[in-house]
Amino acid sequence: MKKIFLFLAMIGVIMTGCEDELTIFPEDSLSVPTFYKTEVDFEQAVNGAYVPLRGIYNQSMAYLSEMHSDNTYYARNTAFGATEQQEDVADFAIPTDQGITTNNHVTNLYVTMFEIIARANQILATIDEAEFDSGPKNNIKGQALFLRSFSYFKLVQFFGSVPLHLVPVLSREDAALPLASTEELYAQIIEDAQTAIPLLPPKSQQDPGRVTSGAARTLLGNIYMVRQQWAEAEAQFRAVVNSNEYSLMPNYADAFSGNSDNKNNMESVFEVQYKEGPEGLNGSFLYNFLPRPITAEEVGLITQTSNPQPLNGEGNNIPTPDIIAAYEEGDLREDASIQYITLSESFWRDGVYPIIKKYVEPHSLHGNHGMNWPVYRYSEVLLFLAEALEEQGKSGEAVTYLNQVRTRAGLGAATGDLGEAIFNERRVELAFENKRWLDLVRTGRAIDVITAYGNRIKANPNDYYYPIGAEPRSNAFTNISLTFGLPASESSLNPNF
Amino acid sequence: MKKNLTRLKTACFVFMLFLACYVHAQTTTVSGTVTSADDGLGLPGVNVVVKGTTNGTVTDFDGNYSLNVSDTNGTLMFSYIGFKAQDIPINGQTTINAVMTEDATALEEVVLVGYGTQIKRQVTGSVQTIEAQELADIPVSQITQKIQGRLAGVQINQTTGKPGQGMSVRIRGQLSVSGGSDPLYVIDGFPISGGINAINPDEIEDITVLKDAASTSLYGSRAANGVVLITTKNGTVGQTNVSLNTSTGMQYVPQRGRIEMMDAVEFAQFKKEYYEDQGDPVPDIFQDPSQYEGKTNDWYDAMLRTAPMQNYNLTITSNKDKLKTAVVAGVFLQDGVVLNSDYERYSLRVNLDYNISDKVRVGFNVAPSYIVDNTPRTDGSRGTGILFNALHTWPIMPIYNPDGSRTTFNRFPAETGNIFSYANWLTSAEQITNETKDVNILSNAFIEYEPIDGLTIKSSMNAEIYNREYTFFSPSTATYRINRPIPTDAEAIWEDRKDFSYLNENLVTYTKNLGDHDFSILGGFTYQKFRRDFSRVAADTFADDRIATIQGAANINRGGTYDQVQEWSLVSFLSRLTYSYKGKYLLTGAIRRDGSSRFGSENRWGNFPSVSAGWIMSDEAFLENSEKISLLKLRASYGVTGNNNIGNYTQYALIDNTVNAVFGNDFAPGSAVNSLSNPNLGWETTKQFDIGLDLSLFNDRLAFVYDYYTKNTTNLLYNVQVPRESGFTNFSDNIGEIHFWGHEFSVNTVNTTGKFRWTTNANISFNRNEVVALAEGIDRVYGPGGWHITKVGEPFGQFYGHLSDGVYLNQQDLDSSPQVPGRSTVGSIKLIDVNGDGIITRGGDEDDRAIMGNPFPDFTYGITNNIKYGNWDFSIVGTGSQGNELLVRHLYSTTNLDGVFNLLKDVKYRFRSVENPGRGFYGTTVGGGNVTGIERDWINDRFVADASFFNIRNITLGYTLNGIDRFFKSARIYGSVQNAYIFTKYWGGPNPEISVQNNGQGDGGNLASGVDISGYPVPRIFSLGLNFNF
Repeated sequence: MKKIFLFLAMIGVIMTGCEDELTIFPEDSLSVPTFYKTEVDFEQAVNGAYVPLRGIYNQSMAYLSEMHSDNTYYARNTAFGATEQQEDVADFAIPTDQGITTNNHVTNLYVTMFEIIARANQILATIDEAEFDSGPKNNIKGQALFLRSFSYFKLVQFFGSVPLHLVPVLSREDAALPLASTEELYAQIIEDAQTAIPLLPPKSQQDPGRVTSGAARTLLGNIYMVRQQWAEAEAQFRAVVNSNEYSLMPNYADAFSGNSDNKNNMESVFEVQYKEGPEGLNGSFLYNFLPRPITAEEVGLITQTSNPQPLNGEGNNIPTPDIIAAYEEGDLREDASIQYITLSESFWRDGVYPIIKKYVEPHSLHGNHGMNWPVYRYSEVLLFLAEALEEQGKSGEAVTYLNQVRTRAGLGAATGDLGEAIFNERRVELAFENKRWLDLVRTGRAIDVITAYGNRIKANPNDYYYPIGAEPRSNAFTNISLTFGLPASESSLNPNF
Repeated sequence: MKKNLTRLKTACFVFMLFLACYVHAQTTTVSGTVTSADDGLGLPGVNVVVKGTTNGTVTDFDGNYSLNVSDTNGTLMFSYIGFKAQDIPINGQTTINAVMTEDATALEEVVLVGYGTQIKRQVTGSVQTIEAQELADIPVSQITQKIQGRLAGVQINQTTGKPGQGMSVRIRGQLSVSGGSDPLYVIDGFPISGGINAINPDEIEDITVLKDAASTSLYGSRAANGVVLITTKNGTVGQTNVSLNTSTGMQYVPQRGRIEMMDAVEFAQFKKEYYEDQGDPVPDIFQDPSQYEGKTNDWYDAMLRTAPMQNYNLTITSNKDKLKTAVVAGVFLQDGVVLNSDYERYSLRVNLDYNISDKVRVGFNVAPSYIVDNTPRTDGSRGTGILFNALHTWPIMPIYNPDGSRTTFNRFPAETGNIFSYANWLTSAEQITNETKDVNILSNAFIEYEPIDGLTIKSSMNAEIYNREYTFFSPSTATYRINRPIPTDAEAIWEDRKDFSYLNENLVTYTKNLGDHDFSILGGFTYQKFRRDFSRVAADTFADDRIATIQGAANINRGGTYDQVQEWSLVSFLSRLTYSYKGKYLLTGAIRRDGSSRFGSENRWGNFPSVSAGWIMSDEAFLENSEKISLLKLRASYGVTGNNNIGNYTQYALIDNTVNAVFGNDFAPGSAVNSLSNPNLGWETTKQFDIGLDLSLFNDRLAFVYDYYTKNTTNLLYNVQVPRESGFTNFSDNIGEIHFWGHEFSVNTVNTTGKFRWTTNANISFNRNEVVALAEGIDRVYGPGGWHITKVGEPFGQFYGHLSDGVYLNQQDLDSSPQVPGRSTVGSIKLIDVNGDGIITRGGDEDDRAIMGNPFPDFTYGITNNIKYGNWDFSIVGTGSQGNELLVRHLYSTTNLDGVFNLLKDVKYRFRSVENPGRGFYGTTVGGGNVTGIERDWINDRFVADASFFNIRNITLGYTLNGIDRFFKSARIYGSVQNAYIFTKYWGGPNPEISVQNNGQGDGGNLASGVDISGYPVPRIFSLGLNFNF
């Protein structure tokens, strides 16, 4: 029996080591307790906060901001089903029940913006505790604040009212918050943008592609424009102009990023950054904007890749006859913005479709390109400034900024009502840059313009890329609403809505 | 099964060794025949020993023996498993015949239980054992295939026919939301971390399944899914046996049961009618369907072949003096019935057991195996499964060019409605490498010390090394995807996985008899640790198909290239107390305490207790003398077990450091928190109550076992969705409750004895489950894909979708019925307005979907008949499942009314016009995807098919030749048919046991089980075997 006791004593010795043996942290990834300590950690964290922009700007943002307007439509491919998510957006027919919708693109927008917000919150909650130089620390903080402000600004414009998260969620209980009012949201959005401006360096001192004090001022100005706080807006845009950090590219077509060259050029205020290649940093939006079915050869003519593949399904974000007609005679921007391609297998007319040219850049890998997406360009700063001035009755000065933009487009001075002229200028200058729908809403024109547009499509569907015999769906243009419903997947998890 | 007598006898031998030294005498030869009292036939293998000496022999296959004895006054001792031993004094005789009588009571069978053995009669849990010998003739590679239908309460399905893969084993219907549901496999006491496919079935002596909590609770946090104990071969006392078993077989896929797709004429006719119905001109190639008469390209059939298989096993067992050894060497070679699929297994096992002294015993087992498995990506939908692709390829597309060479790929002009290109799938099967090579080494070493009678101390070290290399290479000339023109970019994946697991186990057992009281106490401490190193490289765009190595690739796919380290550790204390009073009142209590690295820091230790009791009523006075009842035992047990398949690092909030950004053209590494931490995360808890009855009648001619169980699983691991406003998608938590219950019956009968011996064993099981609760505020969870629902108050993972009611037959029917707004037309599918809002909608919890089918059977059953007549033996095994359904997922494309793919034959009878509504089942082709899309994309009850089946799993007929000469002890020849015939109404494919998801994975998890997207068919096998014993 003594031996049993000896044995049990051995067990006792072994036991003491148990707790250590039972704590195994993952070896192949970091976990929260060990991260958010150093400058490198925070730089990586802020880099990660930019990343969701790549996904949302690659597809859904364009559909919700541009195809959800009279600028672009889808090119109906009657041989293909399962396209209602996009069609519902373009057709102002998103099924919405008591302010809730299941639309994928609407859901994408919501969750992507909150993903950025969560990453920004994680940085803002922990960065003050970390010990490193105030220079880089302020820069990172400024970027995080910009991204949070920008994300909530998109959310408030598209949804009106969303929950307001300002600290990282740590447990299941904290995950669902009540809806904040539009006013509460704007107060936070403005505060974040204002705080970001002095923390961020100007463009000339910032890594190209990261947000700058100029970008933050443009964002804040944009917010004030939506709020119709014209004088405050004017002050921000004027500061951007006076910073001498920006100027218009001499040639309109050069305002847009190439596949690898010409990114973040002197006109660029903020671009979503992409890079061609296998690292997964690429965009593919050009392909989303091609009508289908399209053969490999036809794709190759546009993209100039060595391995073009045929594309099936349905093409989206195809310029409408309306936007084509909006260009004045002699406007150099029309040919820089729209080109025509021929689809041999199309069911529509002779298969000659307009496509967005701004983003057509030669690249090498099929479905994988490096063009950046323009979020803010200096020409928009000028047009915003002109509009803010015009709204305050300072027409004379407004015209000079408007004409800077028109001159580059090869046009003379604007005629007629100045307010209308600025509005129309925005449409063509910023066509396909995700501005149109929010401009229509901001200026109170959305319902009228879209109702008329819907009637044109229903009266003459063949003009809007429906093959002969195909009709718009019966629910088209039955839900013209200024905001989107909140995502059903969120509503089912958040008891507050 | 082993015998208590074994030890006694061994002890006798050892003792007598000393005496033998002093004996000197002349020798006399004694011979005779040993027969069975039962049938009068000679009994082979009976031990004949001169009592008190080591001088002994074994009877041959006719029961004859011959032995030289030195003392004609001695006594001969005859012994044999299952028979009463007897002593016959020699008294100078030279011929001594013995008649052996069967005896079930004197020689107690012992069965393996967790961490020890018990006398079978005294087991109080629900335990079932199969002798591997019974399974030897079944011509398949996996032990789990061999035991299909043999065990009550254990449902084993072959979810795909891929050689060496695809077995799903569920004990008592146990399942979980996201934790694993496979039982724990314990090989010679070592809970292995991999599956048991690496084990050569010929190495196995017996398999014991532990079902109730009392039997399994000593396996603690890993026991909730049930435990399968496997014992490998060891020598039989006093004998040396050498046997060579070989078999060779042919496999093919029967015509019956295959999916009935259109032939070329029917397809062309469909396309012709399609254009006519649209009012469009009919493309030239469809103008005259009769031109395709006799020109069908049956792509599916062309992928299949008749394939050979072979199996060789050499087994040597010996048990002499103090050394017990077993060596099994095996080679299994199987070509698959799909082109370019094959499976090879080379295995060796050496088991050694040595008595250093009468108190100390040591043992070593080592079992290496090497498996090469090369099977194309056959399963899954058009992104992964070439069989799916073959089914869908137009039958007018040629497999061969007129000159006899293979076509490269087929694509017809766009006006024919051919929107996808189809590669030549035969080429895909042959040219794409998809190969795994496994090296598995299982080893154990133990030392056992018995300081005093009844007390044993055993310490063991066990190690498992598992290395899997996976190579995928798809050259530029082949693809497994639909719509990928050839030539394409070559792509490759290399994976390397190294697992190492070791276990130290220290056990003390003490057994003591105090008059009517028998005690047995077990105490133990175990420590197990596991580590997996996994690395994966994915690359594409190879310069030359002949250089299929990393340096040949222009592009490394970053997203598919990564390393993983997985580790866990488990520290456990265990104890069991067994008590019996007068051998008829039985009580067992057991507990295990597990600490695991997987559990959250606030919840690191779990206790898993159980208690069970039994009463052998037949030993009571009022039944003791019953002629009819040989055993009547009542059993009851209750216990708690856990399921720790919750992931190794689920408790931690992890940083994803691959969230990379770019600024300008500069790569910028990025990170983000990608999960929420849960320091309270724990195991899933199952509390199970079992009540059972064992009844043996008529001298064991009829044995009956019944069990009822009820169990509740709580704290299910689940990724509770959290609103994404938090920046996260879910939170891993222990939630919910599932109730399981069921009845299990098994019957063994000896129908006839004597020269014609016929035995039957049959079992049937009824397993049920119901979801009692999910997370707070959540009453349902949809399966991935949305065609399953797990809902409170319903059984788990039910098929969920729209209910259909034919098609809208005419305008009036359309006008008076609920419609899908903007999409329904005359002739389109008519769905039921479940929520009664007047329209048909899909999406959200309140839409028109409803439960439309159940993947779980009402009952499963198996029946085995064995007949022996003289030297002939015959067995037939049938297994079945009743009431289960499958979701025929490929219908979304095989009934695609737009004519994109080849179609089910039945689509011929679709709606064409009000006057010609067909069978009112498949809808109109007019209206394009907006109309036809509902029928295929809105999964509905047409997709649900009855998958009840009865499979005549195996028929074997054998003939044994005994005593051929001095060299051959015996030989046996047999023929065997596997999957001889399947009775089923299932029409979705050839395998009613299938479960294959879109991605080609066999099991979509319990939230999405029972899906048939098409997979590797299970072949019928004819095999011929030869066994030689030397």
